[in-house]
Amino acid sequence: MASKDSKQKKKNNSEETQHPVTVQYLMKTLQELQSEHEALKRELLRSRRIPSGRIGAALLIIGSLVLIGSVLASSATFAFIGLGLTFWGALFLFARPIKFVRSTLLDSTAITSYTTVDRMVQDLGYKAKSIYIPPYPKEAYLPEYLKGLKEMVVFIPAEDSATMPTLEEMAKKQFLLKSPKGICITPPGFGLSSVIEKELRAGFTQIRPERLYDLLPKVITSNLELAKSFEMKSENELTHVRITGSVYSSLYSREQGLRSIHFLGCPLTSAIACALAKATGKLVTITKDNVSYDLQTIDVWYQTLEA
Amino acid sequence: MNFPLGLWDISLWIAVTAIILLVTSELIGPYSDYFGDFVIEKTRLRLTALVLGAAFMVTVILRVVMPT
Repeated sequence: MASKDSKQKKKNNSEETQHPVTVQYLMKTLQELQSEHEALKRELLRSRRIPSGRIGAALLIIGSLVLIGSVLASSATFAFIGLGLTFWGALFLFARPIKFVRSTLLDSTAITSYTTVDRMVQDLGYKAKSIYIPPYPKEAYLPEYLKGLKEMVVFIPAEDSATMPTLEEMAKKQFLLKSPKGICITPPGFGLSSVIEKELRAGFTQIRPERLYDLLPKVITSNLELAKSFEMKSENELTHVRITGSVYSSLYSREQGLRSIHFLGCPLTSAIACALAKATGKLVTITKDNVSYDLQTIDVWYQTLEA
Repeated sequence: MNFPLGLWDISLWIAVTAIILLVTSELIGPYSDYFGDFVIEKTRLRLTALVLGAAFMVTVILRVVMPT
């Protein structure tokens, strides 16, 4: 009996000793987070306090005055100073700092939709496979009941060897398809593909697939700066894409444990699948992906399928 | 009340500014490891640098065509 009591006491003591540690740890974490929050607030205020527009305008005004003064005083030195100030003022107004979001925020906003797809696919017991279905061109005439075909969708079939849904079924904009069984969702990279189209000033349907191989790397690395390097080439009926330093790379990390990212692709690889589907007018599927250990390099293989 | 700078002076100023801007735009380019995260409209900066470079070339051609 006594030994039982002592065991219970020991258990209680151990709980008591563990509890303060946890509370202390939580308090410490809370303090750290609060200080980080304050630091971010200060940073935000600082960035708001010095608008480059005002600096640019001030430089422009001072430079103009100095330029006028240099003409009145016939001074070459003042003319150079005035010219410089005016130019840099104009440049500050022209090439302003752009608004940015931290890449971690990009991930956190994207994770939700992938987790949802993961849950749906797991719950429905579907095979991890996706087929990107190209939409009809926006300019193409379609009767009212087929207007739904102008939207880009990705079909997740219930079985590996499933046939494709009929046009009528897809035109209904249904989520759950019965024959063949599967779900139709908007690709995670659909929005990004629209942004790329805007940058290219042309729809993917108007671009030949071979031309896409030259255009996409420039837009993704230089214009949108979504990756450090981007290679796209054709490999025996497959399209191989190698992305280095992608802003979405952390979505592939093991800690996230996302399954759907491997068959749907991250927003960037999904946007490429959308682009390929639109440019070729064929079905596109992600056959394989390979992510390096440090998440820096992502290799994705796409396959085009006949409808 | 004349403008105190001649064509040659302006040409020199344009050349120096164009070099500064071209080097800056190259340094803060997306491929740069050190300044790649610089948040500015890089395309506009590069465009300005290229326009200034072209302006310098124009002044050089003017000097060649009309030396005096």
